[in-house]
Amino acid sequence: MRYRYLVSFGAVVAVAALLSVPMPGQAPAAKTKSYTPPKTPWGDPDLQGIWPGNMGVPMQRNANMGERTTLTDQEFAAKQAQAAKQAQADAQSTAASDSKAGIGPPSYWTERGKPSRQTSLIVDPPNGRLPPLTAEAQKYRKEARGGKGLPGEWKGEADSFEDLNIYYRCITRGLLGSVIPVVYNNGNQILQAPGYVVFRNEMIHESRVIPLDGRPHVNSNVKLYLGDSRGRWEGNSLVVETTNFTDKDAIGSNGAGYPGDPGYHSDQLKVIEKFTRTSDTNIDYRITVIDEKTWTKPWTILMQLERNDNYQLLEYACHEGNYAMSDILSGARAEDAAKKK
Amino acid sequence: MRFWVRASLGFAASSAALLSLFLLPASGQNAAYKAPRGPDGHANLNGIWQAMNTANWDIQDHAPYAGPMWEVGAIGAAPAGLGVVEGNDIPYKPEAAAKKKENFKNRRTEDPEAKCYMPGIPRANYMPYPFQIVQTNKDILFVYEYASANRLVNMGKPVEAGTDTWMGTNNGRWEGDTLVIDVTGLNGLAWFDRAGNFGSDHLHIVERFTRTNADHLNYEATIEDSTVFTKPWKISMPLYKRVEKNAQLLEFKCVEFAEELLYGKYKKQPTK
Repeated sequence: MRYRYLVSFGAVVAVAALLSVPMPGQAPAAKTKSYTPPKTPWGDPDLQGIWPGNMGVPMQRNANMGERTTLTDQEFAAKQAQAAKQAQADAQSTAASDSKAGIGPPSYWTERGKPSRQTSLIVDPPNGRLPPLTAEAQKYRKEARGGKGLPGEWKGEADSFEDLNIYYRCITRGLLGSVIPVVYNNGNQILQAPGYVVFRNEMIHESRVIPLDGRPHVNSNVKLYLGDSRGRWEGNSLVVETTNFTDKDAIGSNGAGYPGDPGYHSDQLKVIEKFTRTSDTNIDYRITVIDEKTWTKPWTILMQLERNDNYQLLEYACHEGNYAMSDILSGARAEDAAKKK
Repeated sequence: MRFWVRASLGFAASSAALLSLFLLPASGQNAAYKAPRGPDGHANLNGIWQAMNTANWDIQDHAPYAGPMWEVGAIGAAPAGLGVVEGNDIPYKPEAAAKKKENFKNRRTEDPEAKCYMPGIPRANYMPYPFQIVQTNKDILFVYEYASANRLVNMGKPVEAGTDTWMGTNNGRWEGDTLVIDVTGLNGLAWFDRAGNFGSDHLHIVERFTRTNADHLNYEATIEDSTVFTKPWKISMPLYKRVEKNAQLLEFKCVEFAEELLYGKYKKQPTK
């Protein structure tokens, strides 16, 4: 959030300079199987560190790319050039930040990530696109809330806070919303202690404490926004299986309802995450989403997390500073009053 | 305990003396306890812990009192409790003492807990919800069930607070088997309890966590804030291990339970 930029203001220029240097792209396939990760003192593979999400890859692939998982050299060069141009614009916007105020965050707040050759976060189905919704899910989405539809990105209606999505409400962004790259505060941190792995997300200050002792899931009556996670080691990979989700949150860049986002899931959702360290600085992070009530088949996201221990996770006090909610609702009431006149 | 002692006065002097023997050694009996080693080679504090006292209602000694809303009946009332403040008195400056009273009067809408704001330090440690200490081979993470609040305790070279936050900037160090956490950079917006005790953004808190046996931690915090208090003061309490086999942190994302309170007046059909 904005505090980060106040703190790391001096670092912005340095980061922008780094971004303009072309970096080799990362192919989506796990590049090595022979890498052996270091071990924690108690013998588990050591995944600890700060692994920010990378912004540079769209959720779904352009349909005209078909089953192509990587950009061509030419496409990648264009993407790099665009990133360099953007970095320059961001640096200028930093310099000019005092000159004008708008309603959106200034461009230099944005974490844009490193250009990648990966054509989409979704790697399965092979076309890199979401599988079709089930008939049941289509009906549910259409008829929800008496035909108003599920709360989404600003739809121009604010009768109540419940018309806004759970990110606007600062409740959470859900398990997947919390890791899919967004505009800023994409920090992720992994910590480990004997019997536990913690996956910590900067926005909105989530810490998922995952037991590794093989205990069963909690009763299915216990529905949680981030679900109930259980982890185990498969070789050097951490596999986390999560169930017990509510149907109130959604998978997507902001936890609900931007165009192109996967959107709402049912309470039957099951998420299987696999974390595999492929080098000292990379984790191959695959997330498989299974929800038979919502999607006609499972789908999988791949994020190539890159370690950055200089990234500082700050406290994202979203709800505590949620002036937007009062402003949106009171603004809507003022509009109602104006219409009556 | 106090009542027990008083009751025993009615018995023969010898049996009263015998009872007091049971009561006294509480602090002394653990002197020989050596905590198991954690992943960092220091005393192992890993586990799910919870306070078992009434400090979240009022950190000072208090009689039972009515809740802020008669509509919820006895559910909203505060139980009596023995305080956790050393000597019981909090050395408020006069204007701060007045502010505390004002806070209490307005607690239904102004207690940050009612609004589901992050609890700050020290309150996070004695709310009636569990928290988990995740002691790695480097840093130590505190994860609180309430409001998904958490704080990372930096065990490396101390860092200065870059900005004020609800949960503070936490620098840790070991003094023998005691984890000492120096907390600065608190925004001072959190309260210490439902009674309206409070500090400011000048708070400096030094916490001490000591494992006294397999199932208990001793928790102490020295609270310093020259803009609110005339001198530093101290709280202390035991924290209890959640020993259930299936103990785990669940979610208490309380925002959705605070929205009517915070935004109800702005709804198309306002909440009365």
